[in-house]
Amino acid sequence: MTTTKPAAGLRTAGAAAKESPRKPTPARSKQHPQGNKKLRRAGWLMVTPSILHIGLWTALPVIATFVLSFTNYNVFDAPRWIGFENYIEVWNDPTFRKATWNTVVYTFWTVPVSMAIAVVIAVMLNQKMRFQTWYRAAFFLPQVTATVAIAMVWLWIFNPQQGLLNAALSVVGIPGKSWLADPDWALWAVILVGVWQGIGMKMLIYIAALQNIDESLYEAASIDGASSIRKFFSITLPMLKPATFFVFVISVIGAFQVFDQVYVLTDGGPANATTMMTYEVYRSAFQNFRMGMASAQSVFLFAFLLVMTLASRRLTRGEDG
Amino acid sequence: MSAEAVKTTQPGEVPVTPDKAARGRAARRRSTHIALNIALSIGALTMIIPFLWMIVTSLKSPADLAQFPPSLLPKDWVWSNYPEALKAAPFHIYFRNSFIISAGHTMITLALGAMAGYSLARIPFRGREIVFMSFVAMLMIPTYTKIVPQFLLVKFMPFFGGNDVFGQGGTGWLNTWWALIIPGGLSASAIFLFRQFYLSLPKELEEAARLDGLGEFRIFAQIYTPLIKPALATVGLLTFQESWNNFLWPLLVTTRDDLRVIQVGLAVFRQLDGTSWNYLMAGTTLATLPMVLLFLFCQRYFVQGFANAGIK
Repeated sequence: MTTTKPAAGLRTAGAAAKESPRKPTPARSKQHPQGNKKLRRAGWLMVTPSILHIGLWTALPVIATFVLSFTNYNVFDAPRWIGFENYIEVWNDPTFRKATWNTVVYTFWTVPVSMAIAVVIAVMLNQKMRFQTWYRAAFFLPQVTATVAIAMVWLWIFNPQQGLLNAALSVVGIPGKSWLADPDWALWAVILVGVWQGIGMKMLIYIAALQNIDESLYEAASIDGASSIRKFFSITLPMLKPATFFVFVISVIGAFQVFDQVYVLTDGGPANATTMMTYEVYRSAFQNFRMGMASAQSVFLFAFLLVMTLASRRLTRGEDG
Repeated sequence: MSAEAVKTTQPGEVPVTPDKAARGRAARRRSTHIALNIALSIGALTMIIPFLWMIVTSLKSPADLAQFPPSLLPKDWVWSNYPEALKAAPFHIYFRNSFIISAGHTMITLALGAMAGYSLARIPFRGREIVFMSFVAMLMIPTYTKIVPQFLLVKFMPFFGGNDVFGQGGTGWLNTWWALIIPGGLSASAIFLFRQFYLSLPKELEEAARLDGLGEFRIFAQIYTPLIKPALATVGLLTFQESWNNFLWPLLVTTRDDLRVIQVGLAVFRQLDGTSWNYLMAGTTLATLPMVLLFLFCQRYFVQGFANAGIK
């Protein structure tokens, strides 16, 4: 069910596989002909349970999703092949268009905003100071708590009658709103929660990356008389580029799969103002029992993510070369 | 703010008149330090306030709740909200279920994931690269691209829940522990992380062990795995956390109250009893508490996990 870490594989796996020093060499197999056979068997034995599990619960479902997306299937009757009809319907469905738009808006705001906040906090925390661990813990806390629980707390904060937010606003003299019932504001409320929860993980990755930056770069810049701001933009940010790419990809993948907080906060409403692609997949499959339709929608989601990942990869590569 | 932060770590300017410049620099460093702490405190407080508000609300009386603007602290600290909430919904059962499932997922991941990671990292066998690349490809699959067939697999699991050999006629694994524990038990990312950890260990150990006649499985279990204990803790904690916080899958495969996990229990409680915010926040506090404590005590491993998952 993991959805947050795929890019680790994406970025490092290829390189790691190429560097992997443990290829069976012919010389070796000549040296221990029997040992090698034993070794091979042990290797397969140890990896087979995982192959079976991942094969059954990930690989097979992915293939099945593609196949099902060309069928009309309601679980109770046998699936019927209908070609591209689901895809045509997905393409023309105004609700799914709205969901796609909402997902893009949600991603467009949550990812850069929380990334910017995270990099600033990481830089601030990247030095010896008292309470450093406590600060870090505070920023990371929303990340370890369940999104459902967090959404429940925000639901209460956004409450129009007794909510903390309206109370705080009334102190400053701003009239309160029913944030989650207002089509103009509901998506922004969901985005706010997304930003608030998403800072922690990005901050941690940035802190790890900052510790790898060579101190001598800053020393050299100081001798040349560079200001702090100049150093931040000319050294820190460029050196954080690989981390930024990684954070960006996993954040986009995460943001595209936003579901729990929408389920709790707004149920996709009001008037589909906060419905997301994932939410439409859920509705099609488990409320309307249109498994084929849900599959087509999830293929669409997957394609969207794939294109975005590849595009951002090419973009950063292009800058390097 | 960030620019100042860089400055405090990099005080490398050439002093003009040592005495005066040093004093000025120290004063400036102190003032940036204070500014930094203020900024960080405000930020940290923004993160903490919702949690504090959750706890405060969970201790308020209904009359107290109805007030606007709300009081910052409860007028009377109604600790009985917790037992009342437990009476209103069996949160202790939800709690137990979440714990069983998270522990199950963690054990399966540690056992199978470590074995697979070790094999992919250290044992040369034909086809290993293909197996590894397939796992990496599986890393990229979003949850929502496999959820429908996963549900169907569970529903049509042969020989379970009244199903025949073709998976027809019954409910399969729906509303069973199987559905809650088995499908989410292992993830490609855990295998990937384990492989990275095992790759970082020296080769000499295995050669020495093989010369001593140790079997491959014992080399894995007794030589290498003890060396990656921190990694086991990291992957274990991340797995436990993820599975404790998981919502969609248990929502889909269970409808029985006695199999409900705490996140689903919370959502259902809210739908049934949406206005008792004190009870709801008491339940939310209970749902949040284990992860907060786990994180505070094991912060190091969490931090390590995310750093490792990130850059290598």
